[in-house]
Amino acid sequence: MPGAACNGTGGEGAQYRRPALATLATGVLVVLVWLALAAAHAAEPRKVIRDVFPAAETGFDPAAVHDLYSAGVVRAIFDTLYTYDYLARPAKLVPNVAAALPEVSDEGKVYTIRLTPGVYFQRDPAFGGAKRELTAEDVVYTYKRVLDPKLRSPWSFLVEGKFVGMDEVVAAAKKTGTFDYARKVPGFEVIDRYTLRLRLTDTDYNLPFVLAHDALSIVAREVIEKYGESDGRTMSNPVGTGPFKLGEWIRSNKIVLDANPDFRKVVWDFAPVQPGDEALVAQMKGKRVPAVDRVEIYVQEEDQTRWLAFQQGELDFLNMEGPLAPNAIEPDGKLKPELARRGIRLDRYVEPEIRYVYWNWLDPRMGGMGKAQIALRRALAMSYDVAAEIRVVLNGQAVEAAYPIPPGVVGHVPGWKSTLTYDPALANKLLDRFGYKRGADGWRTWPDGSPMVITYASRPDTLGRQLEELAKKSYDAIGVRMASQRDRFPELLKIEKQCKLASREAAWIADYPDGDNFMQLFYGPNAYQSNNGCTAIPEYDALYKQSARMPAGPERDRLYMKMARILEYYAPHRLTVSRYRNQLVQPRIEGYRRHPILTSTWQYVDVAPAGK
Amino acid sequence: MWAYVVRRLWQMIPTLLGVVLLVFVLFNLFGGDPAYVLAGKISNPEQIDNIRRQLGVDQPYWIQLGIFLKQIVTADFGASWSTNEPVSHILATRLGPSLTLLVPLLIIETLVAVGLALAVAYVRGSLTDRTVMVICTVGLSISILVYIIVFQYVFAYKLGWFPVQGWGDSFWENLVRYASLPILIGLVVSIAPNLRLYRTFVLDEINQDYVRTARAKGVSENRIMWVHVLRNASIPIITHVMAALPGLLIGAFLLERFFSIPGIGREVILAVERSDFPVIKALTVYVAVATMIVNLLADLMYKAVDPRVQFE
Amino acid sequence: MNEGGVDAIPAAGRNHRALPHTVSPGLWTLAWRRLRRDRLAMVSLAIVLAFIAMMILSGLGLIARDWAREVGVNYAPPTFLGPEAAAEAPSSTAGASSATAASPAAPAGDWEAEVVDPLGDVLAELRGETKPAPGAGAAARSAGEAPPGGTAGHAQEDTGFVDPLADVMREIEAAKRSAQPPTAGGSGATVDPLADVMKDIEAARTAPGGTSGAARRATLPFGADKWGRDVIAKTIKGSETSIFVGLAAAFVATLIGTLLGAFAGYYGRWVDDALNWFYSIFSSIPYLLLILAVAAVLQHKGTMTIVLILGLTGWTGVFRLVRAEYLKHKGREYVQAANAIGASNARRMYRHIFPNVSHVVLVQLSILVVAFIKSEVILSFLGFGVPVDVVSWGSMLNEAQNELLLGKWWQLVAAGVSMALLVTAFSLFTDALRDALDPKLRGSEGR
Repeated sequence: MPGAACNGTGGEGAQYRRPALATLATGVLVVLVWLALAAAHAAEPRKVIRDVFPAAETGFDPAAVHDLYSAGVVRAIFDTLYTYDYLARPAKLVPNVAAALPEVSDEGKVYTIRLTPGVYFQRDPAFGGAKRELTAEDVVYTYKRVLDPKLRSPWSFLVEGKFVGMDEVVAAAKKTGTFDYARKVPGFEVIDRYTLRLRLTDTDYNLPFVLAHDALSIVAREVIEKYGESDGRTMSNPVGTGPFKLGEWIRSNKIVLDANPDFRKVVWDFAPVQPGDEALVAQMKGKRVPAVDRVEIYVQEEDQTRWLAFQQGELDFLNMEGPLAPNAIEPDGKLKPELARRGIRLDRYVEPEIRYVYWNWLDPRMGGMGKAQIALRRALAMSYDVAAEIRVVLNGQAVEAAYPIPPGVVGHVPGWKSTLTYDPALANKLLDRFGYKRGADGWRTWPDGSPMVITYASRPDTLGRQLEELAKKSYDAIGVRMASQRDRFPELLKIEKQCKLASREAAWIADYPDGDNFMQLFYGPNAYQSNNGCTAIPEYDALYKQSARMPAGPERDRLYMKMARILEYYAPHRLTVSRYRNQLVQPRIEGYRRHPILTSTWQYVDVAPAGK
Repeated sequence: MWAYVVRRLWQMIPTLLGVVLLVFVLFNLFGGDPAYVLAGKISNPEQIDNIRRQLGVDQPYWIQLGIFLKQIVTADFGASWSTNEPVSHILATRLGPSLTLLVPLLIIETLVAVGLALAVAYVRGSLTDRTVMVICTVGLSISILVYIIVFQYVFAYKLGWFPVQGWGDSFWENLVRYASLPILIGLVVSIAPNLRLYRTFVLDEINQDYVRTARAKGVSENRIMWVHVLRNASIPIITHVMAALPGLLIGAFLLERFFSIPGIGREVILAVERSDFPVIKALTVYVAVATMIVNLLADLMYKAVDPRVQFE
Repeated sequence: MNEGGVDAIPAAGRNHRALPHTVSPGLWTLAWRRLRRDRLAMVSLAIVLAFIAMMILSGLGLIARDWAREVGVNYAPPTFLGPEAAAEAPSSTAGASSATAASPAAPAGDWEAEVVDPLGDVLAELRGETKPAPGAGAAARSAGEAPPGGTAGHAQEDTGFVDPLADVMREIEAAKRSAQPPTAGGSGATVDPLADVMKDIEAARTAPGGTSGAARRATLPFGADKWGRDVIAKTIKGSETSIFVGLAAAFVATLIGTLLGAFAGYYGRWVDDALNWFYSIFSSIPYLLLILAVAAVLQHKGTMTIVLILGLTGWTGVFRLVRAEYLKHKGREYVQAANAIGASNARRMYRHIFPNVSHVVLVQLSILVVAFIKSEVILSFLGFGVPVDVVSWGSMLNEAQNELLLGKWWQLVAAGVSMALLVTAFSLFTDALRDALDPKLRGSEGR
């Protein structure tokens, strides 16, 4: 159509004077345009899948991005040493560009890693036209880079303080302003081109999980040096060893990933685990990875837009979040029959996340180990109606989180019975007992008689408003006056990280599927970092320290259970929910299974042949 | 006249300074601290300090203001804090889609609204006039949010006349295929209030002496409306259209978000959500400069249209 | 403004023949006469007055005071649809039931005794107290959690659980006993000393649990929202907020804009320059950014904040138009005539020119009321709306945005239609008022 329009205007002027010539010229043009269009059509990749992000991407430097969506693109372009088995649940670590899982020695302090030879970066001018193989030096460079202060990587916490000798390098970099990549440290020992030994400062059995994180995707030094932006980040020129490479990119709108022609030979080979996996394996087994030629990703912020676009077939995947879910999902969690009839499939599981309402531990009236404060927090926790949050706010798209470690994460305890349950009557009695008397107006006062107001903070969006309404109801139920503080997320985060936010529903999604990633949230020394409520319970902290040096297993689980009970008794927070993920998939897509940890899995899916 | 133009250009400097100061105060003092978001899921105070140092927000305010002024003079606002994309690149790439949407919208809207305004003013008081005005009034009393939700649902999804969303590489494809529905919604939303306003402007002129004089001289009714009245009524109309122009650039954010158009308005909301000051500041300054130039042009047009207006 | 009529007309009006030779009635009397003849205007006026009366009644707490009460089931449909529509409602029990489902016993063990509940005693005792208390019906809902009777404390002691806080607990216990009213001892049950207060509070907030749905109505005259609140009451309460915001903010903005615009346009020179400078700063900053910035500065998120945000940012349009009008009128013969007879500046500005530009101001006021009622919707969309204990049309429409996709259209329709009705009536009345007031239009009727 655009071709025809140009054509018409081009021929018009001539038509009056020399009709014959004009007609001929027009004819030739039409044929040319048609041929061009046909050629373009032929060149068009055959297998295209279309996904959608509900928020804009930020860029594709593995060490610098901090949103899940950009991380998904990073995973498609780059490789990590380890990755997760596509189908195994709970998530299972498997080698990626490493030849095997690491050899662990010295009580989890030394890791020896061998790389697979023959892994090449995608072709790029940064390599001067030569094929560039991934080596142990690249891995060391990548890991050091995450610690470079100039880069201010949001993921430095993953490796900070872990590798012997790196603290000094970082300290020197802060002083001099330049990070000494060449300096040899015992923490990173390159044994040969394909072998590498990591030495840790302390026992850590979770390191392999960390090495599978998107942020530690392996980059090439030449690329970073060629395209590095003012602060050393390389957000716009991702060059990796992964299955895809960045094609067309309209920022905050459309990201195109093309199959990487230089990608090593990887064959789809996963074993079925869940019901339904067999058919999927039958479709996919033995196919070359990636099976599709192109991934188009659109950014659409509005729920309605995404839903209508998916319904129109403009998208192949859609995550039905809370507000949208009832459109597609029956109350019993099944797909609506009219969608099922169209062949659309639903992939539903509980996200590896917890949400929790915390009360600031450092607030002298609410926080700390005093009994009156404990009683107050427990009363607030008992009056919080989690069932209503699930039913009303989240449209049924969540399960109650009883245990601090969510399903799908190592250390989760199914069927855990929390001692903190919804019981506003008991909460009222508890407050009465501890001297939070009701004033003449029916609202409670602090034990010293001064008026009692507790501030609850939320984000100024629909979800935030509904959570605030729910909190208000809970507070009303026990006669505690609630003030609201609504602010944009950056502002809330700032106050929170200074331990000055009174109360909020916070959320945490797994970086890696191990309980430690969650139990650290309430560890005292992590206040001002990840411990949002700035909780500091000595008993808990002692147990956490013990647990951090243990490998996963029944012994650590036992500690975790004790810690969970302590959290219930001291109630620094109320665990609320873990949400469902409801991924819808169009019938034309084969081999799709949403992975709870992997941020993207486009390389493992295929498009059904036309007519099927 | 040239003296006037030069004087007005000179006046832009204090205005721009005022804008800079206001923006600086509003955003640097009250606008939130992006360091905590940029620091990621787990951060410690040391990292926060490091980020603040990298961004330069730990500097004394007067130095930050100085840097801001220098950025304006050199027209180099650096790069976005969250994506590292150069601000100049953001402007260059987002302006096109915004204009693709807004220029046709503004042209069609003005033509339609002025035409209708003249028509209903001509038959003022009649049933037609009243009906049109009532329809307009009802039309403008509905929120744009409702229009977008309902139109997207009905015309794009149910009837399939337009794509639900999207944006391509070809200008014509964007204009004809993707921008049509947003433009239509924009028209529905803006014609009603503008028609009402323009009608009052036209009615003002219809009752002026010169109209009666012209009529007495036997000038045709058509000529009176389309030449004499329109010429005079165009002063406030031009003022209005021009004043709307720069604001629309950002004001179309709802359309851009719902229809996935990579325009400036969407970028502004994104930047505010991310506390991305370089982007916010650059956009504010550029839009401010555009607004001032447009205002000057509007005033110059006063003169062209109505010689009675004097420049002092 | 009121006395502007009689002596302004001969100067301003160019239709001397239209003026009766008898005593000329005042501008506003004439306007009222003409208005009364306009049936549409009268209907509109009635509607506007009805809304304003509603706003006042609601503001005084005479109607819709209980809008926040959850009287229906979640998303209860309008009565005329019948309760069967409710079956479709996503009041899913799936999530809830799986959450509260009888789970296998806690995988517990020996470690349990090693964790000490600092409030174990108190709670065990309070739970025992809860059980027989008739006033605390709510507790029964979570009865599953209550340990059997008041023996929990003993049971714990049996497992060798040593309470390090036992002495403190005993003290509290003793103190409590002495404080108990003697009547409590009679039945062996402790009477909640705050039972009546609690009952009130309970009643005021109707239990959110779906299990108590029997007490809630399956349908409501115009349906219920997500929480089960009556949409009609909500709409009435919402109109109070929205009309107030619209009127107050428009008044603030028009006042600022008119005063500044008149000064600038009339005096010109440095006054114009100074005011124009001020105006250019405000109007040069993109409106949306200005709103977001002012909203960020005015931290307190109440209804007055919204009035201020809108009023302080919305005056520029009025300023520009009024200034342009003054600029135009300043050159007209009637002003020069007034100048010749020695009228003062203030007199010329307000008595001579103002009646001739008042229609512009009025139209602007009307447009601003409409615009601000609508802006409030966008502010809500951006998250700067009213706080949760206040409801407005904006907050309702914003809620309803997602509900529409779910097929729950009633809140959208209720808020949308009442907003459209008021705004339409308001605008139509203003139009009529404008036609009636405009001195230049008078006498042109016969044409």
